Amino acid sequence: MVKNLLNIFIFTIAFFSSVSAQLKPSQDSTGKLLDEIVVTATRTENKVSNIPLPIQVISAKNIQLSGSQKLIDILQMQTGLVIANNPLGTALQGYPNPFGDGIQMQGLDPAYTLILVDGEPLIGRNAGIINLARIAIGNIKQIEIIRGPATCLYGSDALAGVINIITEEPVKNSASFQTHYATNNTLGLTGEANIVHKNMALELFANRYSSDGYDLDKTIYGKTVDPFIDYTANAKLSYKINDKNKFTLSTRFFTETQFNNYQIFPESQPEIVKGNTVETDASLFGRLEHKVNDRLTFIGSVYTTSYSNNASVFLQKNDSLYEKIQLADFLLRPELQVNIGKNPSSLFVTGAGYNYENINSTRYAPVSGMSSGYIFVQKQIQLKGKTNIIAGARYDKNTLYPGQLSPKIAIAYKLKPNFILKGSVGAGYKAPDFRQQFLNFTNSLVGYTLLGADELSQGLYMLQKTGQIDPGINIAPYAHNLQLSPEKSIGVNAGFDYTINTHAVFMVNFFRNDISNLIETYNLPFNKTNNQAIFSYMNLDKVFTEGMETNLSYNFNRNFSLSAGYQYLAAKDKEVLQQIKDGKLYKRDPVTYVTTLVTKSEYKGLYNRSKENANLRFQYHNIFYKTTVFITAKYRGSYGYSGLNGFQDGSSVYDDDRETVNGFVLLNATVSKKIDSRWEIQGGIENILNYTNKLLMPNIFGRTYFINVNFKLKK
Amino acid sequence: MTTLKLSVLACAAIVTGLMSCGKEEVPAPPPNPSVTVTDSIEVPFSSTASYTLFSFKNGAVVANSDSISTDWDFGLTYVNFIVNSHASGPGNGGVITEIGLYDTLSLAPATGYAYDTTTNATQLAINNGLTTGWYNYDLTTHNLSPKAGLYFVFRTADNHYAKMEVLSVGYSGYNGPNSPPTTLIYKFQYSYQSDGSGNF
Repeated sequence: MVKNLLNIFIFTIAFFSSVSAQLKPSQDSTGKLLDEIVVTATRTENKVSNIPLPIQVISAKNIQLSGSQKLIDILQMQTGLVIANNPLGTALQGYPNPFGDGIQMQGLDPAYTLILVDGEPLIGRNAGIINLARIAIGNIKQIEIIRGPATCLYGSDALAGVINIITEEPVKNSASFQTHYATNNTLGLTGEANIVHKNMALELFANRYSSDGYDLDKTIYGKTVDPFIDYTANAKLSYKINDKNKFTLSTRFFTETQFNNYQIFPESQPEIVKGNTVETDASLFGRLEHKVNDRLTFIGSVYTTSYSNNASVFLQKNDSLYEKIQLADFLLRPELQVNIGKNPSSLFVTGAGYNYENINSTRYAPVSGMSSGYIFVQKQIQLKGKTNIIAGARYDKNTLYPGQLSPKIAIAYKLKPNFILKGSVGAGYKAPDFRQQFLNFTNSLVGYTLLGADELSQGLYMLQKTGQIDPGINIAPYAHNLQLSPEKSIGVNAGFDYTINTHAVFMVNFFRNDISNLIETYNLPFNKTNNQAIFSYMNLDKVFTEGMETNLSYNFNRNFSLSAGYQYLAAKDKEVLQQIKDGKLYKRDPVTYVTTLVTKSEYKGLYNRSKENANLRFQYHNIFYKTTVFITAKYRGSYGYSGLNGFQDGSSVYDDDRETVNGFVLLNATVSKKIDSRWEIQGGIENILNYTNKLLMPNIFGRTYFINVNFKLKK
Repeated sequence: MTTLKLSVLACAAIVTGLMSCGKEEVPAPPPNPSVTVTDSIEVPFSSTASYTLFSFKNGAVVANSDSISTDWDFGLTYVNFIVNSHASGPGNGGVITEIGLYDTLSLAPATGYAYDTTTNATQLAINNGLTTGWYNYDLTTHNLSPKAGLYFVFRTADNHYAKMEVLSVGYSGYNGPNSPPTTLIYKFQYSYQSDGSGNF
């Protein structure tokens, strides 16, 4: 592996030097690539070059040029980010995946990446996954991606990293409108208005997005993705009261209705059910910034958000209710932040906040509230203009689990003005989610029961009382609530940013994440009277992910740019490695029935992780024709899938090529043509190579065509 | 079978002959080596269906009406095994769950055989727990697969010895993810020692 990496490295460098030798830097500079201003890394504005962390910025221009309407499609084109479908969903084998898909970062599941909008978290994870369709992309200023634990600033869930979606800040009067039409009768209408008057700035944004969905498997009744319609509305008001005080108020509203229509088999007889699933997400955010002087700023904010997901399906034959699932999640967070000192040379940031979260679900024990308080500190130091140090820590105290201290230190050293070495070590944690704590769910079809760790005692007694557990079984030794510990990680990132010239930057980052206390399901040592198992949750596994991410950006001139990225990843379960070492892990060939010990080289790691993935972005602008060509490609290498084509070898780990799903390439191209200063037409093809995998990648439709008409009025 | 026995005896005679003149002591082969047989049985996909009973001696399923007899050695329904003794039957059966390679076990242990102390299917001698038991169950694909490197040594209802390994569990009558299959197909291999010894 090391040799491979080295080869790639040398190759890239060689490629690079040859390119730079051949091409003379053009006169019209595009600005230094590392001068972008970001806020996620330090909670204050900073240049990328001053941040000692692996950070990546997706600009509004790139989003606009892609012509895409889906955030997840933009994210997956970035280095090291791949779409992970929830395996519970893909197991439905062509039926609509109710759990959706999310972004896997540094080999960690979507549940381990924190998704923020303007620095505040989205809530409402469905089996760990946030539906990214909840974020319309029409008013995104930039997307900031930080790899490695960011718990020291943002708390729970930021183990793999943070994706912060920064929405636009109105600076002048403008209005824009976009019509998007695509395959599958997909229609997107987006409108935005920015009004700036004296000290006030108002941004209004609305989006309507609908599609007929699609069907990848005609042999199964119903569609793979059901028809849906989304509405989004955002408003942001900022008011500069005076030189010292600034007030911002923003609100976000999203609703999606999905029209479900599929077949079920109650009592092994086919039945059609129809209904809908309504997902709603709303938030309100108020922030007051008070600048006492150049060296002291107070920022007070209140964030509140609510999320709900309600599904009702009815039997077609008699319109009777077949199933109703409801989930409502609410979060209230007041916070105070104080910035002391000079940014970036000696800034000290501290803050404290309080979270109140409440969740209600048909599948959870009644009313589950959780409150937590937190405090964080962070110090930036610049030494001789060469060394940047950021040290920080955060302490979270929750009512349900022990307090969590998450420190982090990051150092950047300018070896040369254009060569910055970066390294960071941080701790991250993920609080046990509501499902793991409060779930009380009995599968109506098979009859097993899942109990959250905090619901175990009451759940067991209730089962026994209602005769579902044999009265002869002594449940007492098990009937006490287990206090789940948060899942914890230590993340190390180290690498460099090499600015070859004003047009080109080459970045390398090596990473390793050690995760312990992973929460897994286990079954209790006795069954129910219907002979089905009872499950609960427990801290069990230890895994690690490690690898390398590298990215090359080259702006040849204002009209021609290229960006390429590559990730190498290894992700393994430490328990499995120990079992292999101890000679305790066997596999049985499902064809020959020969049993052998699993060897270390046979063990390929965790399922659903590609060893390699790569991405490419190419952009060409022709001034004469006022036309831009924008091409993106993503290669996702082969990966393992448990139970692929029914393969089972009794080892429960990925150790056989027959469990390997082949890699694939997604290729997109968009052409944008400016008609005049106001009008623009875009046409594009997504998934040009027409890749589909109806079972494992139900999120990917084949080749898709789209056309956009954009109108922008500026004053 | 008689021919086999005769040839075994002949071999034994030759070996004994060799031994008498050889310098090194060679252990005598079992007088009656067990033969490994692969078989498969179908049981309903239901934890409430009555047990399908199997006899190692006859290498066949025994009618459930014979449950109060020593004609069967183990019973199977869904993922639950019973052993013919104590709470489950009138025999003297017992079972040991072994971890390792089936082929390498050449002698059945003399002691340590577990038996069913209750008819409650949740506390049987063979652990049928979802993660702790003899099989892996994939919650997402609903596939059942016997854990590799796990097999059973049985003392049969009439005090003979057999070893048995479940090789695969298949489905039939499977309509898709929203309904369970109707039938489980168990494929297993076993060696039965008819001479009453524990040699395999």
